[in-house]
Amino acid sequence: MTRRELLAVSAGAASAMALGEETSAIAEHEVQKLRIVDANVSLFRWPFRRFPLDETRMLAEKLQSLGVSEAWAGSFEGVFHRDVAGVNSRLFDECYKHPLFVPIGSVNLTLPGWETDLQRCFDEHNMMGVRVHPNYHGYTLEHEAFAKLLSMAAEAGRFVQIAVSMEDTRTQNELVPVADVNLSPLVPLLKQHQNAWVHLLNYRPQATLLQQFRGLPGVYFDSARVDGTDSIPRLVEATASGRVLFGSHAPFLVPEAALIRVHESGLLDPRALQEVLAGNANRFRRAELA
Amino acid sequence: MNSSDLLPGLPSPQQLKQYRIWDSYFTPSYSHPGRDGSSRLIADVESSLPAIRAGHFERLCYFAHVGLGTTTDAEYETLAQTQPAAILKPLEKWPDMLMGMIMLNGHRIDASLDALNRWLRDGPMLGVYFPGGGPAALTCNHPNFYKLVERITDLRGLIVQHTWFKTGGKQSSGESTPSELVELAARYPEQKFICAHAGGEWEKGIRAVRESPNILVETSGFDATAGFIEMAVRELGPERIVFGSHLPSRSLGTELGKIIGASIPERAKTMILGENYRKLLQPILASKPA
Repeated sequence: MTRRELLAVSAGAASAMALGEETSAIAEHEVQKLRIVDANVSLFRWPFRRFPLDETRMLAEKLQSLGVSEAWAGSFEGVFHRDVAGVNSRLFDECYKHPLFVPIGSVNLTLPGWETDLQRCFDEHNMMGVRVHPNYHGYTLEHEAFAKLLSMAAEAGRFVQIAVSMEDTRTQNELVPVADVNLSPLVPLLKQHQNAWVHLLNYRPQATLLQQFRGLPGVYFDSARVDGTDSIPRLVEATASGRVLFGSHAPFLVPEAALIRVHESGLLDPRALQEVLAGNANRFRRAELA
Repeated sequence: MNSSDLLPGLPSPQQLKQYRIWDSYFTPSYSHPGRDGSSRLIADVESSLPAIRAGHFERLCYFAHVGLGTTTDAEYETLAQTQPAAILKPLEKWPDMLMGMIMLNGHRIDASLDALNRWLRDGPMLGVYFPGGGPAALTCNHPNFYKLVERITDLRGLIVQHTWFKTGGKQSSGESTPSELVELAARYPEQKFICAHAGGEWEKGIRAVRESPNILVETSGFDATAGFIEMAVRELGPERIVFGSHLPSRSLGTELGKIIGASIPERAKTMILGENYRKLLQPILASKPA
């Protein structure tokens, strides 16, 4: 059995477990067995700063010490490199060595032949989703290739993660200032692509857009940069149930930050807390089974 | 089972109590305490209580608007000048938990000097806060600061200066950078200054204040970027760092997570989370009636 075949088997097993866990979450006595799924981490090096946890083994150990049993990993290389196939191959191999991580490939829609990179993510690496960085790659969500990506991903039953930001615009390197992704075009797009599943990484919610996203069931959010002591419960309420994933943006951010933020207000009851920590991610990942 | 059984990311309650956390930067209703002088502020404190309890904080210090033109509300400013008792309500409501400092206005030297007498010499306040925005913001190397700092030093008060280094430059002319605070602090080597937010872009902020032993950095106000505390401990020493929560607009996760998630000795965490701040306040606390 090849490594990719092995991963395919494990991905299938994970999906089956996900279905089982969602069921178990309903039973009160099973609550403490629920895993934590971190839907937003990255591997390898950020070019402007070393992080204490940017060695994969150390990141895995830290996340596991916090109770995380699965982490969806993109690659910092995917933000900056142009040999995206090489980026994704290294990511796949690294995740194979550290099975806590589930690889999420990168796609740069401004590069010639990005469709081949996408197909390799799906067909060769059996990735359950891909991650895009429109602001770093220099396009808006109105770019026709983005609509094509949504179609291709939906057809393959995979999700798309949009990294809305990687870093606070106020602290970025002066040579590489990058505005957050403008998400306004996403609303009409998702009305046209109702089978698309999109996870907004590192998004700081804005009330007007949130109201529009509320009617689009394929849009999911994460906890990484939603700040304020009651911010997560408010986001859960604003987006309708089941749409907020736990995401830490580690190792860029300290993983404890998002984890504590999820529960610090005491406003989420145990069941809602469990859904944010794992249940919603398990439901979201089932895009590949739809 | 209830929510308190699920507190991932936090150290044990015993560990948190051992840290003896004193928060140097609590910001309930930061820009306006409410038309009656306190109602909005008290509501914000109450909304912060779950996080305060989850973190087992001992004490928190907030910044009071005392009628020096630090808000844009003329009606409130009049109330604060004529009915100072209204300002004291939060301290009276939580006498064992809250501490206060006053917001000063560098544009109004004489009124600020009077306020120092009223609130630091004759009242319960422990220091001053110079804001980085709003009508009272004035760059802290302005000569107007000199008389004020001299009087604060006489009263053994502590000085907190809002600082940021922002990519793209200042957002308003009254903002201060850590480098400008260094200029001010060099004139008063016997006075301690807190460089709030460590300059935001902390890699520059830490460097800027490194050779100024009378400046300590405060840790709140920006994402829980990994490596911040490690660099601060390495370059400044743990004795020159004080914890701030920025609750409730920021979160326990973001701000406490920076410290507890850092790869530093436990002894350093204890110093940062409370011990250093208590030392800074000791002179003025000792001057107050028991």
